[in-house]
Amino acid sequence: MLIFSVFKTLTDQRVTVELKNDLSITGTLKSVDQFLNIRLDAIEVSDQARHPHMMAVKNCFIRGSVVRYVQLPAEHVDTQLLEDATRREAASQTKR
Amino acid sequence: MDTSAGIQEPFDLIRLSLSERVFVKLRGDRELTGILHAYDGHMNLILSEVEETIMLVDGADSGPSGQGIVNVTKRKMEMLFVRGDGVILVSPPSRT
Amino acid sequence: MSSLQGYVDRRVLLILQDGRAIIGVLSGYDQKSNIVLSDSKERVYSIDDGVEEIPLGLYLVKGDMIILIGEIDEERDSTIDLSTIHADPIPPIRY
Repeated sequence: MLIFSVFKTLTDQRVTVELKNDLSITGTLKSVDQFLNIRLDAIEVSDQARHPHMMAVKNCFIRGSVVRYVQLPAEHVDTQLLEDATRREAASQTKR
Repeated sequence: MDTSAGIQEPFDLIRLSLSERVFVKLRGDRELTGILHAYDGHMNLILSEVEETIMLVDGADSGPSGQGIVNVTKRKMEMLFVRGDGVILVSPPSRT
Repeated sequence: MSSLQGYVDRRVLLILQDGRAIIGVLSGYDQKSNIVLSDSKERVYSIDDGVEEIPLGLYLVKGDMIILIGEIDEERDSTIDLSTIHADPIPPIRY
């Protein structure tokens, strides 16, 4: 839930999604759901020469389970807030 | 005082590493170090000041004693979400 | 998968777990994101030859197999001469 919320705060920011098949796609984060499926707009594939497969694709929907990493815009991530929220979530998990 | 006093379950170790530099071992012969800002029960992580190390073994079954040549590539990323299903281990900051 | 509604009747690219690339008009989907494509074809990439298109017609793709759905800019796509594109196929997903 925490990570889902983080992604929601990054809506409309540019992110780079790296998949488990080594494809890297940069785009504007349009939406994310509870499975961390991701919708990107105005996409660019890194290393276009090696991966021309998505040349004519303007936006895409990526299944969360095939994501390896997402590079986030550091200036839009409040790390103190993240750590506090993580501690809070961890505390609520152990109380259960 | 025993530093392990606050640790009752595995995730406590990760919680106590928040805002510290951690070492993460991933599937696919990848390793990361970075400052841990968030995690959840799937071991999804958010790290900053990340350095990734990828180990590529060339010709694993050729050469003397069956050893291949290991190619190591490194990469830096400012802020990174890591999907938990790729995480093998998270280790607390080394005190060096 | 929540938001496939926007892709209905659009020409899309599906990338599958095994690296196959299939394009077609998304004519239907369900809760499990199984997808029906009409007028579909597989684009087979190779480094030595240009892209080969294999017609598949009306095609049902299981949701579990799909890793990416992309909306194709048809205008841009029509300007690309596939026979000049030489590239390795997309690698399969390795968990």
